[in-house]
Amino acid sequence: MELSPKLAAKFDQLQTAYPVKRSALIPMLMFGQDELGCVTDELIAEIGRRLELNNVQIEETLAYYSMLHRKPIGKHHVQVCTNIACKLRGGEELLEHAKKRLEIGHKQVTQDGVFSLEEVECMGACTGAPAVQVNYDFYENVTPLKFDRLIEDLDKGKKPEPQGVISGALHERNKLETPLISKKWGVKDSHKIDVALQLGAYQALDKALKQLTPDQIIDEVKKSSLRGRGGAGFPTGMKWSFVPKDSQKPKYVICNADESEPGTCKDRPLMEMDPHQLIEGIIIAGRAIGAHRGFIYIRGEYRYVLDVVEAAIAEAYQRGYLGQNILGSGFDFDLLIHTGAGAYECGEESALMESLEGKRGNPRIKPPFPAVVGLYGCPTIINNVETLSAVPSIILEGGEAYASRGTPKNGGTRLLCVSGHVNKPGIYEIPLGMNMKKFIEEVAGGMRGGKKLKAVIPGGSSCPVFKAEEIDIAMDYDTIAKAGSMLGSGGMVVIDEDTCMVDMARRIMHFYAHESCGWCIPCREGTNWLKKMLERFHAGLGRPEDIDLIGELSKNMLGRTFCPLGDAAAMPTISIVQKFRNEFEDHLQGRCAHNKAAEVLLGTR
Amino acid sequence: MAETKLVKLKIDDREVEVPAGTLVIEATRRLGIEVPSFCYYPGLTLQAACRMCLVEVEKAPKQQTACTLVATEGMVVRTNTDAVRASRKMMLEFLLSNHPLDCPVCDKGGECELQDMTFRYGADASRFVEEKIHRPEEKWSDVVYYDAPRCILCYRCVRVCDEGMDVKALGVGMRGAHSIIIPNREDHLECEECGMCIDICPVGALTSGTYRYKTRPWEMTYVSTICTHCSNGCKTTLSVRNHEILRANNRDLSGINKDFLCVKGRFGFDFTRHPGRIKQPLLRKGDKLYPVSWEEAAQAAAAKLNELHTAYGGEAIGFIGSNRTSNEENYLLQRLARGTFGSNNIDHHRTADYTGLVTALGENAAAASLTMEQLYQSKTVLIVGNDPTNQNPLVAWQIRAGIRHFGTKLFLLNSRDIKLKRKAAQFVHVARGQEAAAVRWLATGEGQFASGVAEQLSALKTALEAEPELAIVFGSELTGAAIHDLVAFGSKLQGKVRYMALGDYVNSRGAADMGLLPDRLPGYARLDDKSAAETFTKFWGAPVPAKPGLTAPQMIDSAQSGKLKALYVIGANPFRHFGKSGAGRGQLGFLVVHEMFMTETAQLADVVFPAASAYEKDGSVTNTAGEIQLLHKAAEVMGARSDFDLLRILSHQLEKLGLGKAFQFKTPAAVFEEMRKTVPSYNVHPAGLLTGGAEPSKTQFTRNGHAPYDVPVELIRSANDNLFTSGTLGRFCTTVQSLPEAEAKP
Repeated sequence: MELSPKLAAKFDQLQTAYPVKRSALIPMLMFGQDELGCVTDELIAEIGRRLELNNVQIEETLAYYSMLHRKPIGKHHVQVCTNIACKLRGGEELLEHAKKRLEIGHKQVTQDGVFSLEEVECMGACTGAPAVQVNYDFYENVTPLKFDRLIEDLDKGKKPEPQGVISGALHERNKLETPLISKKWGVKDSHKIDVALQLGAYQALDKALKQLTPDQIIDEVKKSSLRGRGGAGFPTGMKWSFVPKDSQKPKYVICNADESEPGTCKDRPLMEMDPHQLIEGIIIAGRAIGAHRGFIYIRGEYRYVLDVVEAAIAEAYQRGYLGQNILGSGFDFDLLIHTGAGAYECGEESALMESLEGKRGNPRIKPPFPAVVGLYGCPTIINNVETLSAVPSIILEGGEAYASRGTPKNGGTRLLCVSGHVNKPGIYEIPLGMNMKKFIEEVAGGMRGGKKLKAVIPGGSSCPVFKAEEIDIAMDYDTIAKAGSMLGSGGMVVIDEDTCMVDMARRIMHFYAHESCGWCIPCREGTNWLKKMLERFHAGLGRPEDIDLIGELSKNMLGRTFCPLGDAAAMPTISIVQKFRNEFEDHLQGRCAHNKAAEVLLGTR
Repeated sequence: MAETKLVKLKIDDREVEVPAGTLVIEATRRLGIEVPSFCYYPGLTLQAACRMCLVEVEKAPKQQTACTLVATEGMVVRTNTDAVRASRKMMLEFLLSNHPLDCPVCDKGGECELQDMTFRYGADASRFVEEKIHRPEEKWSDVVYYDAPRCILCYRCVRVCDEGMDVKALGVGMRGAHSIIIPNREDHLECEECGMCIDICPVGALTSGTYRYKTRPWEMTYVSTICTHCSNGCKTTLSVRNHEILRANNRDLSGINKDFLCVKGRFGFDFTRHPGRIKQPLLRKGDKLYPVSWEEAAQAAAAKLNELHTAYGGEAIGFIGSNRTSNEENYLLQRLARGTFGSNNIDHHRTADYTGLVTALGENAAAASLTMEQLYQSKTVLIVGNDPTNQNPLVAWQIRAGIRHFGTKLFLLNSRDIKLKRKAAQFVHVARGQEAAAVRWLATGEGQFASGVAEQLSALKTALEAEPELAIVFGSELTGAAIHDLVAFGSKLQGKVRYMALGDYVNSRGAADMGLLPDRLPGYARLDDKSAAETFTKFWGAPVPAKPGLTAPQMIDSAQSGKLKALYVIGANPFRHFGKSGAGRGQLGFLVVHEMFMTETAQLADVVFPAASAYEKDGSVTNTAGEIQLLHKAAEVMGARSDFDLLRILSHQLEKLGLGKAFQFKTPAAVFEEMRKTVPSYNVHPAGLLTGGAEPSKTQFTRNGHAPYDVPVELIRSANDNLFTSGTLGRFCTTVQSLPEAEAKP
């Protein structure tokens, strides 16, 4: 097929950018779709020819990713998030408004082909909820009025200025905050290398390359007691030390920038405002394990962030921080940023590697773990953006100094994104171990409208909820775990007294059912069953036995699924049924905490 | 082979010792303990998707999948605790939540793994009250249908298509609860139509277009026999109702092919009920063939043959046997020719030079033969000529399996870009017809090649010289002297070398083994082999003629020119294959044919006997690797009789007329007993055969000098059948013939 010169150039570049050709599949589909409006038969044939893939290999891969479309979508693809953070701030009402305004429903296209509408899952704008994406442009804190104006402008061919930096990232620093990895935020052009260099970028790299051996780097990271910021909280230094030293195969570093845990939106500003810190962290990680190649896997929705990071990578190459013989040290390192295409599951490390290899994002059997058999079957370390962004600071100030910023075994600072019913939703860098209640009251500005606190999801939607009386607790990995939840990815969602917890459980399960890859039976069928049951229950058609059944089915999934997604769906549900059983019982009586008793009875929602 | 380390573990309080690296699920099976699984399938990649095999392992924080867990020393596994049983029950409850539960109308009902597991471990009540996900059934091809709601997504079909077949026609579409299996052409399949996906499906999601909605499994009987098409000799289990074959598969994984069958093996049985089947003896009266009684036909045939024999002697009568009839029938046919008529004019359509191979190997022939199992386990394979994917599908399957499981290195020397090239470590491309010359170069260094080819051959030689063992598989491109060269090359290599010649049809090898050759007696004994001649004379009560007879093409030429007075043809179509086209039977005086269909040859006959197919008889056949296997009668077609019966009838009629001795065998097994005594290579132990296995024949003899088998150029010709053709029989396999892929092939 005839490609535009721009797309042809992009395809040519992608075709040779990876050690294995097939890796270029998803980026090619994404960039191809951007130009053609959808994935056409011709595009599939063209990509198949270039990557030597057959039809079914491409079809099965693209069918997996929610951002890839086989049928044309509108010129302006309007995506409204209704996941928990947005829902708490009117996302669902906004979606209903959008349907009326555009006169189309979910996944429909207007007759003139100008607009299409889609209800989407968390897009990483939780502190700017409710949020809308039009194609790749973010619009945050969208009211129905703002929405109408947006549509009018788009209709007239004007493009309203999209949200740049996520709302809630730039704010006056609270005295309880300890900015370390976010310290460049707010400085004009902090993403540009000259500004970054003035603020100390690449000094840690210089030190790591010239003064430290790879083992010493790993030691410093171990001393820092840095733990993975993506959700699981695994000690980073230990992870790095698992990589075999004598491997004949190449080794890889992957930065997991597939931030998609509902309630989490910290990697987005980290990459947007300080990409060089991340690049530096990745190179140091590569040095530590003896890798010469790195990949940043960024979620497809963060296209403008991809552009920022790509530009930063180019700058780093220009200045000799990437490429051959970095800073004269003899160390070589190449880095590539790779776009995803809409799949929460690809945040799971092994699923991410499958996806990076151009396949469906199904997780892999473990063991072997990625440190031994990872990307392309080679030893690989994979870390979250925030984790890798902390590495330069650790190298510069030393592991112990970094550790002392937090509590024992929970070293350093943490970015918390707080959303929901607080006065100041935002992203705050605080020392690990801060009291949760104090954080909500003093940093996040307390409850909006003076409402009473009902519940807190401490670290993203897969974490069991805390009731209001349970939040007088130190926010570090171990204390939260002891209290029965997780610090997770730092996506704290605060829920007030007017919220229906049955509805929250429904929305959370809706998400996991949507994102289940379908690989294993309990997750595939369990999430789908629970979603349907919670929908019915919330609509007022529940049966008394359903309450126990919801809890039981969740427990049946727990610990039995192929990957942690099943657990992620089960844990919050189990905790909501346990802690808010009264609300389920109220529903059976036609009462709903959301003051919508009548609607529940009528089954209109 | 290095000794494998053993590890000891405890499963349900019983100790078991298994080789290191064994999966726990396999270890449990050794103890006879059932751990259920859908996605685990021996030989295919691990999935851990169905979660049915969760077991408790001491010190593990949660239940582990036995299908991915490697047994380690001291491991303690429990497969039958309350928690494990609860897990199985939960998995089934989840699985059934979106399952249509249409067992009463499902083809798989009664032989469905999901049904069985639900019966054993499942819940007795459904708690699912939500709406199920519906999707209409899809027709992917004439032989493959997909019913998504029944699919449990075990991915066996996807894997067998990719890993097993290297076709990659199936994939997984959508995701989550909406996941489905998708075909490669949007809404249909374009593939080898092997149907492996149907048989490997544990449930009724993939069903067979030829079998669906026809019957229930418990209404049928199951007969295991050998596929009648290519020379690989796959075991197939025929599902039969009221003497009619409704299905062919091999789900019990028995036989040399385990679960493998190709499109012909799985769907190519409908010729048995083809309307063109001959169901009455036919006798020529003037220009036309008329149905007559068995008596009249048999008497007419015997009388004329006796008359011509009396007038012109045995040399005026020729016999052409079949590639598809049983060893016993072939043995009787040559006994009829040699013992009764005193003629060595006996041959068949030769598609591989087995004689050449055993001649070249001599006393080493048995030790250097290559069975299908040995082929699978070979670390290095060289294929010269042939296209196994099309012509010898099991050979290709075994090689692909070896590559997956043992990292087999595959070397190809071919004039065509065959599909196996994708899997080859080296592919040497020679010009058409240059295979023999290339082999000669490997053996002797003689010969000239285009630039590039010589270098490739040199690289091939160097690579093969470094291998510790080698399996050589070759097609009809190599005959006589070329095979001699090949063996000369092989004998110079450092490691053990084994050989397999690739013929075309189910008993191509058996026809040669049984002496359907003008210059070799059964067991490849030379005509001047006194001890062999003595043995046969003793058993037949008649001398063995010493003068070599005519080859099949020579017989047809002689028949057309009138030199040959009578021709007796069983299950062959020589007037199509040989002789002057358009000349018909020419001056031939008398033609008797045993046939299923009115082939070109049958149409020329004076007497046509309706013959039973291989699926309608007992006996034995020998595959191209020299492995003997038993045929079992599965179906019956009114009017047709086995060639064994027909030859017996004729022998009795001839005896009445004073010619020869009647065959006194009551069953094919009795013939096999004589063969065991007269043909040393067939003196195999029946135990293996009776249990449905294959017994390698043990052909070997003292080499008489070092001369290669002298075979005329062009005598040995493969029909180059592909997956959808099968010689003359192919055109009567309606289902296989009607597939679009069959038309697309050359």
